[in-house]
Amino acid sequence: MKFTCEKNAFAREISLAQEIIASRNALSIMSNVYLEASDDGLLVRATDIKTGFETRLPVETVEPGSMTVFCDKLTVILANIPEGSLEFTESDSRVTVKPSFKKVRFQLKTISSEKFPELPEIEESRFFALPSRDFKDMIGQTFFAVSDDETRFFMNGVFMEKVEGGLAMVATDGRRLAYVRKQLETSIPDFKGIIVPPKILSLVLKHAPDEGPIEVAVGDKNLFVKFGNYSFSTVLIEGQFPNYQKVIPEHQVNRLVVNRQDLMDALKRVAIFVEQKSRRTFLALSEGVITLSSEESELGTAREEIPCRYSGPEATIALNYKYLEDPLRACSTQDVTIEFTEPNRAITVKPDPESFYFHIVMPMQLE
Amino acid sequence: MRQNSVQLFFHVDLDAFFASVEMIDDPSLRGKPVIVGALPGHRGVVATCSYEARTCGIRSAMPISEAFRLCPSGVFTRPRMDRYSELSREVMGIFGEFTPDVTVVSIDEAFLTMTGTGRLWGCPADSAAELKSRVVSRTGLTVSVGVASNRYVAKTASGLSKPDGLTIVPEGGESDFMAAIPIARLWGAGEKTQERFRELGIDSIPKLRELGESLLVSIFGKSGGEFLYKASRGIDPGIYAGEAGSKSISTETTFERDVTDRETLESVLRGMADELAYRAYRENVRSRTCVLKLRTDDFSTSGRRVTARDYLLASDEIYEVALSLLDRRNDNLPVRLIGLGLVNLERGGAFQGELFGEDRTRRTKFERAVFGIQEKGIGKVTRARFIAGPADEER
Repeated sequence: MKFTCEKNAFAREISLAQEIIASRNALSIMSNVYLEASDDGLLVRATDIKTGFETRLPVETVEPGSMTVFCDKLTVILANIPEGSLEFTESDSRVTVKPSFKKVRFQLKTISSEKFPELPEIEESRFFALPSRDFKDMIGQTFFAVSDDETRFFMNGVFMEKVEGGLAMVATDGRRLAYVRKQLETSIPDFKGIIVPPKILSLVLKHAPDEGPIEVAVGDKNLFVKFGNYSFSTVLIEGQFPNYQKVIPEHQVNRLVVNRQDLMDALKRVAIFVEQKSRRTFLALSEGVITLSSEESELGTAREEIPCRYSGPEATIALNYKYLEDPLRACSTQDVTIEFTEPNRAITVKPDPESFYFHIVMPMQLE
Repeated sequence: MRQNSVQLFFHVDLDAFFASVEMIDDPSLRGKPVIVGALPGHRGVVATCSYEARTCGIRSAMPISEAFRLCPSGVFTRPRMDRYSELSREVMGIFGEFTPDVTVVSIDEAFLTMTGTGRLWGCPADSAAELKSRVVSRTGLTVSVGVASNRYVAKTASGLSKPDGLTIVPEGGESDFMAAIPIARLWGAGEKTQERFRELGIDSIPKLRELGESLLVSIFGKSGGEFLYKASRGIDPGIYAGEAGSKSISTETTFERDVTDRETLESVLRGMADELAYRAYRENVRSRTCVLKLRTDDFSTSGRRVTARDYLLASDEIYEVALSLLDRRNDNLPVRLIGLGLVNLERGGAFQGELFGEDRTRRTKFERAVFGIQEKGIGKVTRARFIAGPADEER
C-alpha cells in the first residue's frame, strides 16, 4: 500500500478519528485508525466499538491496499511536521511516513486491517434529511442533562422520538429534565423512541456545519448521522426511558420573569460560597425581587438581590445551582421564565418568549 | 523513648453479645444454649451463640441447620438488631468516657486508643477494671479486654480469657506474649494456614519464627508471609489501619471457619446492611459510598468500594450495593473475614428531590418509620424472612 496526500487535509481527518478512539493501548486494534487507499481516494475509519466514524479524502494512490495504525502516534507525528505533501508506504507490518520536503521519516508498526471491527451499515434509502441547525439546536438543549450514573444506563443518553410534525428530544438524570421539540418540514419515517449515547451527539454538535442539511437514519440497534464527507454511527442504549411526560407539570401556579444574564451572573457570585457537595442555593422570591443566597458555612455566606417581574406569594426554593445554571446557559433569549407551584415541587425554566424547549428541575429540601 | 509517647490500646469485645442481650432481657434463658440467627428450617447462619451453645460445638457463621443438628434442644431466636444496637451504643458511649478515640469495629467490638490517658485513669489495669465494672453495672453485659501497645496484640489478648477477661501485655513484652500463645490461637491464621503449619511441623509460635521472612513469603505468599512474620513477633501487621473513625461506620465478622458458599456471605451481608442502615439513621449520617472488605484464606485483604448516585439510606439499598461489590470478586477463595461499611459520611445536609423517585422515597420513609417504631419499643417489626414459619413452631 502506498499513497501520497496533503498533510493538512489528512491531519484534520486523523484528529477527528482520534476523538472517536477511546483506547490508548498501543497494542490494541481499537487504538488504531483504519486506512484504505484505492482509486476512490483514502477511506478512514475509527471506532470505540460503540461509536463508528468513516470519512473519505482525496489522495494519490500509488498502490492500493489497507492497514491500521496507532492513531495516537500518528496524530502526534502530523502535529509536528510542517504542511506539504506526505508519502505513506506500507510493507511487512510497518508503514513509513515521509514528508516530501524534509529529511525525516517515521516508521510505525501496523496491524492487519482484517482484524479491524466491522462498522454497522444501513441502506441509503433509510436516511432522512433535516436542517443541521435544527438538529444541533436540539442537541444543545438536551445533551448536558444526561445522567452519568451507570446504574441508570437507560438515562445515559438522549431520548429521541418522532412527534407529530417533527422530532422531540428529552434528557434527564432523574433530578432535572430537558425537553425540546422541533417542527420539521421533512417527512420522517416512523420509528419507536430511541436512546442515543451523548458521544455521537457532541461530535455532531462540534463538527456539523451550522448551515445545510444533515442526514439521519434510525436502525434497530444503531443511529446513523451523515454530513459533509463524514459518516457517524452509534449503538443505541437498550432499555426503557422513563415516562417523562408524567413529570412535566402541565400547569404551574406562579411565574416570574428575569433577565437571563443577571440571574446567571448572580448565581456565579453566590456559588462562590455554595457548599460544593450539594451545591444547594436558595432563591427567595418576593415582589419584584429574587434574593439568591448560599448556605451559611464556616467560611461565610453570599447573598445577592436581583430585580425580576414577580407578583406571586413570597416563597423560597432551594436548588442545586448547576441545575439552574445549565438551562440558563442553554436558553438563548434575553429573559427567562421560571414557573413553580410549590417550593418542593418541580419547577419549569423556559425562554421568554416561549420557544421550542423548556427545562424541569426538581428542588432540594429547604431545611 | 519519652514516657508519653508510648502507645496504648484496649481491644474490647462484648462476650457472646447477641445471646447475652437475650439473656438479660429474658433471665429464664440464663445457663441455656442460646443461638441467635436464622431459625431452624430456614436458610441462614448463626449470628452469635451463648457459651453454653459453644460447648455443643456451635460457632458463629455456621449454617443454622448444622447448629440445630448439634444442639436440637437449644433456644433458637431471631436477632433483634434494634435492641442490640441500643445496648451497643450504650456500651460504646461508656468507652467514650475513657477516651475520645473509639474505633468501632463492629456492633460488639471496639478499639480504644488509650495513649496518654495515664494521668486521667491511672495504670492500664485500673482503667480496664473500671471500664469493665462500668459496663457491667450499667448494662449487665460483660466484656473481655485486651491491653497492649498495638492493636493486633490487644486483639489477641482480649480473646485469651473470654468471657469477662482482662489480659494486659506490658510494653516491650509483646514478643514474649506472642511466643507463649498456642499457635492455633494465632489470630488471622485460619484453617488452611493451620493445616499448612501442621504439614510443615510448625507447632508453636517460636517454631514459626524460626522461618525467616523471605521463607514465610515464599510459602504463604507476600501478604500472608509478611502478616505471619509480624504477627508472630507481636508487631502490628496493620490490619486495623482502616478508615478514620468518625468518617465511616462499618461492621465486620471474622468467620471461625472459612466460608466458601455465597449464600452464607449474602446472609451475613443482609444482617450487616440492616445494622448499617439502622446505625446511619441513629447517628443522623448518610453516605453514598459503600465498602466491602474481604479477607481470604491467603491473607490477602481487598476493599472494594462503589459510590452510588443517591444516598444509601434503606437497608435494601445498602444490601444491593454490597451484593454488586461481591459480584466483582475475581477469586473464589474461602473467605475468612467480611466487612461492610459506609464511608464519606455526611451529616444532615440537603436532600435533592427526585423527578421519578417516588418509589425510593416511599421505601426509605417506610424503613425509617419502622426504625421509629422499634425505638419507641412499640411492638416488633421485622423482616418477613426472619418471621417464624410453621417449621419453627414444632421445635
